[in-house]
Amino acid sequence: MGMGIQLSPPAGIEAEIRLARPPKAVTASDFVSRLQVMQTILGAGYFAVLRLGGHGLPSARKLTLSLHNLAHDADGHGRELLDAYGAVMLEHLEASMLPLIWDGVGDNQFAESSVETFTTRLPPRLLPWSGMAFPVRLGAHGNGYVLFMGTFIAPSSDLIIDMHMKSCQVLIDMLACEEKKLAPAEALSEREIACLQMAGDGCISEAIAEKMGLSVHTVNAYLGTATTKLDAVNRIQAIAKAIRLGYIT
Amino acid sequence: METIRSDAAAWESYGFSAEAGERKSARALLVQHLGRCTGHAGLSPGLRALTDYVSASHFLLLRHDVMPEAGLESVIASDWPFDMVRAIAGAILAGQSRMSELDKCLTLLKPCFSHLADDIAVPKGISREYCTIAFHVGRVRMSLLLLFPEHFILSQSKLRDVGVMTGYFASVCCQGAFLRQDREMELTEREVECLYWIAEGKTSDEIAVILGISRNTINNYITSVMRKTATKTRSEAIAWAVRNNLV
Repeated sequence: MGMGIQLSPPAGIEAEIRLARPPKAVTASDFVSRLQVMQTILGAGYFAVLRLGGHGLPSARKLTLSLHNLAHDADGHGRELLDAYGAVMLEHLEASMLPLIWDGVGDNQFAESSVETFTTRLPPRLLPWSGMAFPVRLGAHGNGYVLFMGTFIAPSSDLIIDMHMKSCQVLIDMLACEEKKLAPAEALSEREIACLQMAGDGCISEAIAEKMGLSVHTVNAYLGTATTKLDAVNRIQAIAKAIRLGYIT
Repeated sequence: METIRSDAAAWESYGFSAEAGERKSARALLVQHLGRCTGHAGLSPGLRALTDYVSASHFLLLRHDVMPEAGLESVIASDWPFDMVRAIAGAILAGQSRMSELDKCLTLLKPCFSHLADDIAVPKGISREYCTIAFHVGRVRMSLLLLFPEHFILSQSKLRDVGVMTGYFASVCCQGAFLRQDREMELTEREVECLYWIAEGKTSDEIAVILGISRNTINNYITSVMRKTATKTRSEAIAWAVRNNLV
């Protein structure tokens, strides 16, 4: 009983934090219109959002085209883009926050940055359009790029900073939208969370039982129900998922 | 450098926050100035210019890819009084590691205000409140912490500008020595691969089949990971890997 009282304040704070997030339902078309405004301001013809997929292994990570307005032959253009710059973009996202810029094929194609020191130039003439890509590294989730492409792209440093900030916000909002889908069907109880936290901190069931004043069987039962609620196959996967979802730290 | 500061100061001295157009030119000047500070010796002058831009008084740039116990090892550059840095660096790292991964993602580049503990001595005329802006330079999460004069309100839009510009600046300035010590490098590709499959809920036997190596080899990899990461159980090793974005 005492344990329940001790645990409730943090849970209350957590609820407030979650409520503070905008509850609005953002749809794909909202993102499209925001990106189209940015595209117009930059004088670009197309936009694309690439997102980093594949948790874990460096070799398993890859960028995929998640939102774009490449009208005809979108698949072909998307493949072309990733073939040309996918690998270098992936590497860049691991190391730097600087926007990428490249010249397209053709005489009148170029992209220019007013601050070459703070942009990274990619090999030119690999794609039909010039372009600029803003890397967005949020952390464990939702990383990627926002790209703008056209025949002539030459933003001022002011515009680059504004557009980079807006690009970050787009990916943050996309992640916030998905958060609802990530959440488990049934909320975890305080005791389940407490057991998971201690297990993640390296305690074995016996130690958790002693600290919480419960029997080992009860602790294992809590960890079992938490595993089921998180749709995990075992305790370790449950801990990984609980950290990613923010139940434990 | 002096010209930039006096220009920006002149705009600010007109009273309220400068007009949008003027703010933009101050920002463009600052970017140019930062472009000239990109050597390692330029780090502190560059951060000083960023601090001046937002009318703050002191800067502290921290990296979060070190253990919370590391304290001062996390400090990249600072002109805060040393006693203050020593008193709060550890607490700030610990606070960050208590935040959920999702909240860390959602608060990127958002200026966030906190209070210094009462037992920390603050220079005269400086507010007990400080501002934190977090960003990523590649895998490394960093925070810029700003002190500012008492009774002073910092412009939210300028703070966000400073977040992006500090990110650019650190991307250029900090690429050298200290971003190299990536902790992923300490673990081998095979060890990370094992961690990944364990986090996906696979048992040693299953991983042995997936990777085509023996169950004992897998267990050796995990033992080696636990030794390198100073973790006591498999669960703790996975929790460590998730927290450090390895899996």
